[in-house]
Amino acid sequence: MPSATNSRESSTAEWLRTITSLPGVPGHEHAAAPEIARAFGQFADRVERDPIGNVYGWIDGTGAAPRPRALLAAHMDRIGFLVKRIEKGGFIRVTSVGGFDPRTLPGKEVMIHSKPPMPALFGTKPPHLQARGESEKVVPIHELYLDTGRSESEVRRRVPLGTMVMLRQPPVALLGGRLAAPGMDDRAGVVTVIRTLELLSAQRPAWDVVGVATIEEEFGSVFLGARTASEKIDPRLGIAIDVSHGDMAGAREADTIPLGGGPGLTVGSNVHPRLFEGLRATARSLGLPYQVEAYPMSSGTDAMDIQISREGIPTAVIGIPCRYMHTGVETVEPRDVDRCARLLAGYLADLPTDWSVTEVLK
Amino acid sequence: MSPTSPRRRANGAPRFREDLLEALSNESGVSGDEERVRAIVVEAVRDRVDSLEVDAMGSLVARVGPRATARGPRRGPHVMLCAHLDEVGIMITSIEKEGRLRFRRAGGIDPRIMAGQVFRIGAKGIRGVVGILPPHLTSSADEERVVPFDDLYLDIGASSREEALEHVARGDTAVFDTVYERWGETRKGKAFDDRAGCAVLASLVQQPLPLPVTAVWSVQEEVGLRGATAAARRVAPDLALVLEGTASGEAPGASDGESAPRMGGGPALTIHDRTLMADARLVDIIRRTASARRIPTQWKRPGVGGTDAGKISLSGTGVPSAVVSVACRYIHAPAAFLDARDAQRTADLVWHTLHAIRKEWER
Repeated sequence: MPSATNSRESSTAEWLRTITSLPGVPGHEHAAAPEIARAFGQFADRVERDPIGNVYGWIDGTGAAPRPRALLAAHMDRIGFLVKRIEKGGFIRVTSVGGFDPRTLPGKEVMIHSKPPMPALFGTKPPHLQARGESEKVVPIHELYLDTGRSESEVRRRVPLGTMVMLRQPPVALLGGRLAAPGMDDRAGVVTVIRTLELLSAQRPAWDVVGVATIEEEFGSVFLGARTASEKIDPRLGIAIDVSHGDMAGAREADTIPLGGGPGLTVGSNVHPRLFEGLRATARSLGLPYQVEAYPMSSGTDAMDIQISREGIPTAVIGIPCRYMHTGVETVEPRDVDRCARLLAGYLADLPTDWSVTEVLK
Repeated sequence: MSPTSPRRRANGAPRFREDLLEALSNESGVSGDEERVRAIVVEAVRDRVDSLEVDAMGSLVARVGPRATARGPRRGPHVMLCAHLDEVGIMITSIEKEGRLRFRRAGGIDPRIMAGQVFRIGAKGIRGVVGILPPHLTSSADEERVVPFDDLYLDIGASSREEALEHVARGDTAVFDTVYERWGETRKGKAFDDRAGCAVLASLVQQPLPLPVTAVWSVQEEVGLRGATAAARRVAPDLALVLEGTASGEAPGASDGESAPRMGGGPALTIHDRTLMADARLVDIIRRTASARRIPTQWKRPGVGGTDAGKISLSGTGVPSAVVSVACRYIHAPAAFLDARDAQRTADLVWHTLHAIRKEWER
């Protein structure tokens, strides 16, 4: 029914607006965790946080105990900055936490998460004062600075070194229901988990389903939150939900999936073929559009560490099409997020408790 | 009216109308498309001025005379006060079949501030984002390359030309999607060049002025000082003062010389820029007035930029002209800064200067 579909998507859009707006660079996820825990708690049977900061929402299965567990992972950290140095005049230097293109930063507003928070912007030199040819040179991140418009003494008093800084861009509503905001990577995945828990709270799977908002995906080579969550939950299968590159001008078709085309299903060494086949079969039976993404090596998601946790865990990766990743205008279609949740819920709700990929051959 | 009021300060000068600065900053008015900004000024001044007209190019022209007294009207030189309505922005030049919009600049914008920026397009304020490939898909050679204007595009969410055309049209202008805010003493907003001057001028005409003044809110400054060129010919003033939002120079590591003029340092006075040799007698009156009234002033960096005063000074048989500016950080960028105290001091200084001109200017 169209009306039911529309209300589902508008609710997804509302979740996206709320959850993407929460701060939280790698290591500072505590700034978002309480809100995300509250969101999980609206639908989950249990909500908990582990010692390193992951947030879990449990849906208790209907199967006989001990039941198998499915892990749904989306990372709650967002790329951002930390205050590195305060200079004469009160200008602030930052270090980036996560991979920004410094070409997307000059002139952008940020929020410095001091107590209370203080807005600022990346300073730029007006064209009137530039030397000839200066506008053709990229400004590297160590030459960028923040200006709060406040005095040096106030800045020094209020902004300790190490303070978290996030891009400050309210969600922008585009045509076609699309939404642009910093933090879609991967708060759109967190919203997918929230919506999946909501659906499963009604559909009641035989398995226990554990949604986890993980820490520190955007930092370093280890997906720390995903690794520790897998150790803790000991899941029989794990699915990472993250953003995938949407179709964009100048990008190869091979590197992208169109916005509005539904969930991206990854094939490749990070994905167990039976999980891929199962998800695809569910998409077909539910009449959901989907698209296949081919990554022979790293999927670049939490699934990398889930897969090699404990004795090995079959994994899959669900991709939400997203344009302009790692900028302040990461753009998704709420409809795609909604479809990801329906796909996950549909798949998990039908899983029999004897499902396993390990085989005893003799 | 009591000596101090919401409109008037203890020294007699008009109060700076920050509410107007906020409204003007938030409204969009790229060169050639100033109508909505002009309407805000019209609303603010229509009951306070003797006449109000829109000229052939779209500039707003208000006459404010000395009020007749029992002893008869006192005359003085006819002064043109001028601030420009327009701001830098972009214009949609084509709508591609995938629904993307291409655009050109109106005015001086650094291409380095464009990627990832949000714009408000046309009268309806449709939002568009300037797309850029994610770092994951960017080659190391491209990382070193500023994306030129011709390669930039706006994404409004449309999937096709047809869908886009329901909401935007070729020729629509677009501005940075920035909201005015108070950050301590600093005010943050777009287009302070020259909505700061527009708001100071609209504040000034709230009070009876000591001289015959023609206030002009000019169009098309950012595309070649065009509106003021035509307006000055029609107004034919004896003198002109241009009110501007000018570039301040503070940055990490900048020397004192490079930093000047500073935000918060008081009205910035021009000696000369690329378009004007300011009239030395007029500048002298302004300086002495500032000194007598204890209004701090500073010098704008010489030889940089240009203002409507360049064209007004050449009008007719020549018009002695000067420029008084509010020093703003980050003009021509998505969000600029100014110190609200500088705006009030600029209103104070121009007000007292008009009185000094009445007394001193030889006819």
